[in-house]
Amino acid sequence: MSEIVVSSRVRLARNYEDLPFRNKITKEQSEECVRRTLEALRPLPQPYTFLPLKGMEANEKKALVEAHLISPDLMEHEETAAALIRDDEKISVLMNEEDHLRIQGFTLGENLNDAAECAFSIDDALQEQLSFAFDPQWGYLTACPTNAGTGLRASVMLHLPMLTAQKQMGKVNQIAAKLGLTLRGIYGEGSEAQGNLYQLSNQVTLGKTEKEIIDAVAATARQMAEMERIYRHKAEDKDAVAFEDQLFRSYGLLTNARRMPIKEFMAHWSNLRLGAALGKLPVSLKTCDALLTAAQPAHVQKAAGTALNDKDLDAYRSELIRNALV
Amino acid sequence: MLCEECGKNQAEVLMTTVVNGQSATRHLCRECLKKYQAGDLQALLAAILSTMAGKLQETDEETPDIICPKCGETYAEFQKTGMLGCAECYQAFRKELAPVITRVQGRSQHAGRRPPVSEEEQARQTKMEELRSLMEAAVAEENFEEAARLRDELRAMTPAREAKA
Ligand SMILES: [Zn+2]
Ligand SMILES: [Zn+2]
Repeated sequence: MSEIVVSSRVRLARNYEDLPFRNKITKEQSEECVRRTLEALRPLPQPYTFLPLKGMEANEKKALVEAHLISPDLMEHEETAAALIRDDEKISVLMNEEDHLRIQGFTLGENLNDAAECAFSIDDALQEQLSFAFDPQWGYLTACPTNAGTGLRASVMLHLPMLTAQKQMGKVNQIAAKLGLTLRGIYGEGSEAQGNLYQLSNQVTLGKTEKEIIDAVAATARQMAEMERIYRHKAEDKDAVAFEDQLFRSYGLLTNARRMPIKEFMAHWSNLRLGAALGKLPVSLKTCDALLTAAQPAHVQKAAGTALNDKDLDAYRSELIRNALV
Repeated sequence: MLCEECGKNQAEVLMTTVVNGQSATRHLCRECLKKYQAGDLQALLAAILSTMAGKLQETDEETPDIICPKCGETYAEFQKTGMLGCAECYQAFRKELAPVITRVQGRSQHAGRRPPVSEEEQARQTKMEELRSLMEAAVAEENFEEAARLRDELRAMTPAREAKA
């Protein structure tokens, strides 16, 4: 499965009963939100890092967004926003985002249940000591009613290069919509999905149990992975040389280029991962997925240690890529 | 044809949405499509709110705005931003919110995880169950005086919020 499902994520939206939501909260109340969350989570066994956004370097924040550890939305409230991230990066708790808390569980590959268990463990620890806004009819109450109920968003990152190439994404989108799920590109803007990476997630949060929501996303992801697999085989059967040629060309470019813009990288990365998934290229899926994050702009900038202009950034990226692959 | 959302740009894509088992197709421009893809349900909610607001104004223009007693948010503010001010807003706007939530979410009753029940609350619920069965027994024995007394006792134990629902 992990040859197509890159990662799984479960997010819970929670708000403290006695504090106003984002639009009406004062600075002092936002600080209280952080204070009581940290206090309640203090006895957790594993090591965590606490990161207040205020005063953090701009590139550092961007790198956290690139690693999906914080949301772009959190950056809009940097005066009061903060994140608590478990050192293995499987759990992050965002404070003072759209809701008081966004609790995220994360795993590599297809394992939404594991991601959910991570999020629930934090939810349980907090609820033992603190009261969340809850209504018997509408469940956990959120700043925007579109998140009320379970407050749960289950999502998987899918790598669908052949479905994209064979123009099947319209059909795949319709399957998702019929089941109350949404599919969208993760990188790039609008309808363009850089790297052929998509996020499949639930739309509706009320009226279904956490398990029902998670099972629906997981089952649909499996169905889409099966479709992708079929198209991979079809392409190979049709013209194996052309198929391999495409993969090896990207591998050749990534291992030799001296300047690699991000957009070009994303296109070749997709072929690299496809080649790794099929065992055709001498690279592991783990290396591929680590490279995906490591080659994003803020990560390259961070690794360089000094502020780079665009051209130098592309040059440094190519070096990082070669070091990872060769 | 022109985009059905903004009415300005040329429509280039056909978007199909399925809400509540009903599908709808709309011709959109790239800009508006982006909005839908990025905002998930938020854009849809805003669209629903604005149509409902239009309807409300048509029927009775004099309706004074509802205000949440705790945070001071008005329903008009919510219609503009799609965001509520505090947990109490859900109670203050309950009547107006109910059809909106049902339309956006497709369902109206939460299922799944709940906050843990305190010992006090557990005791209250057990006591209420006892009273309820005693009351039923009293009715069965046609002891209506006793039944009425138990009913009042039950009412007194029901929190205001549950009584309203
Ligand atoms: Zn438009
Ligand atoms: Zn309020």
